[in-house]
Amino acid sequence: MTDKPHLDEEALAELRDVMEDEFEVLIQTYVADSRDRIRGLQEALRADDSDAFAKTAHSFKGSCINIGAPRLGDLCLRAEIAGKESRLDDASGLLDDIAREFEQVIAGLDGLMVG
Amino acid sequence: MPIQTRRYDDGQTLVIRIEGRFDFSTHQAFRDAYEHGDPHIRNYIVDLSDTTYLDSSALGMLLLLRDYAGGDSAGIVIENCNNDVRRILSISNFEQLFNIR
Amino acid sequence: MDDSVAEHSRPLRILIADDSDSDRLILKTLLKRLGHEVLDVANGLDAVSVFQREAPDLVLLDALMPVMDGMEAARQIKLLAGERLVPLIFLTSLSEAGALARCLEAGGDDFLGKPYNRIIIEAKIKAFNRMRLMHRTLSDQRDLIRERNRQLTEEQEIAKRVFDNVAHSGCLDASNIRYHASPLSIFNGDVLFASPRPAGGMLIFMGDFTGHGLPAAIGAMPVAEIFYGMANKGFNGQDVLREINQKLKRILPTGMFCCGAMIEADFKLNQLQIWNGGLPDGWLIRTTGELLALPSRHLPLGILAPDQFNADFERVGAAPGDRVLMMTDGFLESADSAGNVFGEQGVTGTLDRLDDGDHPFDAMMSAVHRFTGNFEDGDDLTLCCLEMMDEAGLATLPDRAAPSALAGPAEWRCSYEIRERTLGEFSPLPLLLHICMEVPGLRRKSGEIYTLLAELYNNALEHGVLELPSEWKHSPEGFGRYYAERNRRLANVEGHYIRFTLHHSLKPDGGRLRVICEDSGQGFDFHNHPSVAPGNSPTMSGRYAGRGLLLLKRLAETIRFHEQGNHVEIVYDWQFARTAENRDD
Repeated sequence: MTDKPHLDEEALAELRDVMEDEFEVLIQTYVADSRDRIRGLQEALRADDSDAFAKTAHSFKGSCINIGAPRLGDLCLRAEIAGKESRLDDASGLLDDIAREFEQVIAGLDGLMVG
Repeated sequence: MPIQTRRYDDGQTLVIRIEGRFDFSTHQAFRDAYEHGDPHIRNYIVDLSDTTYLDSSALGMLLLLRDYAGGDSAGIVIENCNNDVRRILSISNFEQLFNIR
Repeated sequence: MDDSVAEHSRPLRILIADDSDSDRLILKTLLKRLGHEVLDVANGLDAVSVFQREAPDLVLLDALMPVMDGMEAARQIKLLAGERLVPLIFLTSLSEAGALARCLEAGGDDFLGKPYNRIIIEAKIKAFNRMRLMHRTLSDQRDLIRERNRQLTEEQEIAKRVFDNVAHSGCLDASNIRYHASPLSIFNGDVLFASPRPAGGMLIFMGDFTGHGLPAAIGAMPVAEIFYGMANKGFNGQDVLREINQKLKRILPTGMFCCGAMIEADFKLNQLQIWNGGLPDGWLIRTTGELLALPSRHLPLGILAPDQFNADFERVGAAPGDRVLMMTDGFLESADSAGNVFGEQGVTGTLDRLDDGDHPFDAMMSAVHRFTGNFEDGDDLTLCCLEMMDEAGLATLPDRAAPSALAGPAEWRCSYEIRERTLGEFSPLPLLLHICMEVPGLRRKSGEIYTLLAELYNNALEHGVLELPSEWKHSPEGFGRYYAERNRRLANVEGHYIRFTLHHSLKPDGGRLRVICEDSGQGFDFHNHPSVAPGNSPTMSGRYAGRGLLLLKRLAETIRFHEQGNHVEIVYDWQFARTAENRDD
């Protein structure tokens, strides 16, 4: 799973093609959305709410796949499964991985914008 | 096919044979049987030997054939009717319009 | 076809519900690029309310959403859509089979996985639009059929009411008539009319048009008009039949016709005249128990040209209490559950078993009822029974609406003469009656006027011109001979004539009609006639044998004979009707 790339260049190229001028808005939306999701995951963890954790991870996974961030999507999937199986002990480590990977993605996307 | 046609060797007589029920459902097939546009046909024989039933719309179809074949001068023979069929033809007095044998 | 192409490429209104802002943005942009109108919301509750307000054509729904999830929103949206097919596609990265199945159970029609692929999205939207349009076409057609059917039923109901007004203006409800005709029998092609004749007696017509539904019903209206119009004016059964045949021959397409029977009952002469063209055997059931079949002897109506049409009636004597029974084919074709038909055997069997007190109508109805086991099939049949009556026991024609005595012609005079072969071909009675009926004061007396004219005319023709001895009619053998001879002699009337002179004038309290009837015959010795000159004369000559003359004397103010008895003059007076309140009728 970890062998997936941070960013799927091909998917992003297609998105740029579809979104045209709004590509930048999309990226900003995704980033803002993702920050909300990560906050949501942290809150669920604090509240020991594995159901909320799984659902948020699921939604986050969907938007990552769509935007072309497959490795982050994978991490979200693992988080979702952990939530579903009520293994919130494993979840905090995963959440750290997610936060780290998200920073990577942001960096990559920024590079894309500049380019 | 419930309706079959054949021609006499002389080429002037058309035999139309109706199998089973002679009613509205045979309307188109009966018309097709004689409306083929062969100018040599002078006489028509409607063979009812295998006709089990005949209703008033069949009587109407016979009138249409009579019209097509020249009205009062039409040469049409209706033959081999069973008793039920014969009864319906005679209640309507169709022997006045057709040669029934 | 062009319409449907346009319809297939028309932009759709699509609702997206997804709580992920970025996913929603991608999808919205994709769909807009494809040319569709997009509405987007972030939760299920908003999706339901936007759906309700904007009625989108297609809904794309995320499964997991806050506030209300996709499953619940799907259920509510499907409920709101009702019979309309609104394709509902779940947007999901769900992969677990159970979760996918729950989406379908909630009303979802398909899934769209992430990441979105624009080619797949476009293909799915097209496919679902096709399905949506097909569904709409089908339900539109179903609604159309439903609506047409409702309209048709309503129109039939109206047509039936109009037809009832025309058809049942007669005397089907007279005490000596029993009949069964289903309420919508007109749409089976069956008709039944009855009318009193101005001179007394009745005319009944039963008909059965080929086919069913509207085509079968369409001929009924002109037949009813002809029947009632002519019967009222005093035309006899032959004339009415000829007119019906001629009309139907003209208006019906070849292959369509009307099996029918006409019965003319004369309660004065105690005779029935019957014409049957294509209906099953009718039956005369005498009070003595004797049965007489009245078979079809003619082609149905609407087939033969007027010059080929044979309107010869069969004439039979029938005493008061004798009954005549007529039926349509539907009666014989009444079937039991096994498909066996009642048939002629059913009819003759029932008639053979008639007991003294049985009314043949009731016996026949209950027999067919017993035979079929239920009476649903009985709705396709018409049965009618007429009973011969004593002349005196029959109510006269009902008075028509009280006319204004001042309107219409009051002072007039006319003369009408028929000669030569027209004597054998044409009855002047309807025409003469028609002229008299223009006088409102006479209109209420149409029966009496007709009787006067008919007696004068028949005597002038049969005894004056044709010199037929009326005593022949007193024996059954003579009866036939009389009419055979009548027909023979009618062919040979050169130089003969019958002339009517009518003269009407007003009097202070009403009016006076003077009728003079002259003929070219030998006349008779009216000076010694028992009815004219009281005295016991043995010379009961051919003319005015008994009842005819008595009838004239009873109805008219005066009756006078002139010349050698072939010139008769009667005077008929009428009074203004009193006001409606104190009329004693």
